[in-house]
Amino acid sequence: MADAMNVGVNLEAFSQAITAIQALRSSVTRVFDSLKDGMKNKETLEGREKVFITEFQDNLQSVNRDLNELERLSTLVGRPSESHPLHNSGLLSLDPVQDKTPLYSQLLQAYKWSNKLQYHAGLASSLLNQQSLKRSANQMGASAKRRPKVQPSTLVLPPQYVDDVISRIGRMFPDMSIELFRPNGTSAVLLVTLGKVLKAVVVMRSLFIDRTIVRGFNENVHSEDGKLDIWSKSNYQVFQKVTDHATTALLHYQLPQMPDVVVRSFMTWLRSYIKLFQTPCQRCGKFLQEGLPPTWRDFRTLEAFHDTCRQ
Amino acid sequence: MGVTCVCQLPLAEGKSVQQTIDILHKKLEQLGAVKQGSFTVDCETYHATGNASGQPTKLLYVMHNSETPLSCLALFEGGPCLTADGNFDVLMIKLKSHFQNAKGHKVESRGSRYRYCDFLIKVGAVTMSSSARGISVEVEYCPCVVPGDCWNLMKEFMQSFLGPSIPELPSVFSSKPEGLYAPVDCVDTMTQYLELFGRVRKQQVLPGTTR
Ligand SMILES: [Zn+2]
Repeated sequence: MADAMNVGVNLEAFSQAITAIQALRSSVTRVFDSLKDGMKNKETLEGREKVFITEFQDNLQSVNRDLNELERLSTLVGRPSESHPLHNSGLLSLDPVQDKTPLYSQLLQAYKWSNKLQYHAGLASSLLNQQSLKRSANQMGASAKRRPKVQPSTLVLPPQYVDDVISRIGRMFPDMSIELFRPNGTSAVLLVTLGKVLKAVVVMRSLFIDRTIVRGFNENVHSEDGKLDIWSKSNYQVFQKVTDHATTALLHYQLPQMPDVVVRSFMTWLRSYIKLFQTPCQRCGKFLQEGLPPTWRDFRTLEAFHDTCRQ
Repeated sequence: MGVTCVCQLPLAEGKSVQQTIDILHKKLEQLGAVKQGSFTVDCETYHATGNASGQPTKLLYVMHNSETPLSCLALFEGGPCLTADGNFDVLMIKLKSHFQNAKGHKVESRGSRYRYCDFLIKVGAVTMSSSARGISVEVEYCPCVVPGDCWNLMKEFMQSFLGPSIPELPSVFSSKPEGLYAPVDCVDTMTQYLELFGRVRKQQVLPGTTR
């Protein structure tokens, strides 16, 4: 008995308790049976009543006795171990028909899955709270009620500050030249020349990157009238793909409170294209896939992959 | 104008120039390349005459490329080269007393132009005095300007339709001191064609290889 207690569930008491429940049920049934049958035919009315009452009392007493027995046993059964993560469902593992019905293993899997889901959902929600995807001024204004001051102020940074941040980033990467233009008022447009590989036109709003277009090193970045061409896409498929990926990167690197970190992260990422034509894919090991070199760069590791080889 | 490699394709076993070209066209089309018109590259040879100092006569090559129809390229053997207007040919006639046209030395490569993604492929039959003497394959990777950067990538591409007989990095690039930067005009390409024409000119006409 003591050994069984250690397991957390007293199996013997358990089976006794089940028997006690059965006894209780049958005695309760007997009570209602006798009530239903009513008084049986006896010579005298008093005799009939007397017999009925005695029988009823006997029945109730046996119900009482069975109930007491059950209560006594239930203290012996003990509480199932609280430490079991599945609580009572953990007892399913004790079921001898386990082999036929994989209920317990399924339950375990479902439990693990839901646990993981909860964990990931928690991570995702904390990340999303940090990195708001709201990028335009209007939306910023709307959310300013909740987070006053911090965001709107980053949109009205003095041009001199923007110039400083950009030139500091430019000095970080010797193989990358960043020229800053202000063709339309205070908003800056950056012309990034990466080695002899590519040229990227980066349109800024304050210190936020609004859009970007990547073209080949030998392609025009100025339109016929001599202005920076911030609209037409590259003639080469490889740079059209890189432009798509760069746009994805802009959405990835978002940290509204620290726009200078975002610009620096984006430039670090863009710089990994310096070996665009020299690096084989990190997954398939080839240079070309459908005529294109590995155009994708992992946001974290900066490794090169074909668009079709990334995951 | 990207990085260009011109190479000579050996004839397929027991096949003529035209048959080998047809096989190559089929391979390119299977790969997904799309035919986009045709091209011509030609080369005339001139002897410099009347050199007073008794030096060996230098050769001057005048070349045309259908990619740059308005200009014409003059290359001195082992010397400088210049890009001129198309009517440079007329000037050469005027300079007859100094440069004599070596008749029968005219070589040209003529064929189809294919595009595959950012690659441009030109397969041409090289003819000399109206007999087909060989096959030229020009592969250009348009988005890149540094031959050393994209050479492995181009090799992988050429392997996919030329098989194992792919060339080494063209000497025009490997002999450059640094930077390996392909100029925007097509001097590097034309130099490669000139080298190829020179090889074709020297090579024996094997029986059965002419059309
Ligand atoms: Zn790949």
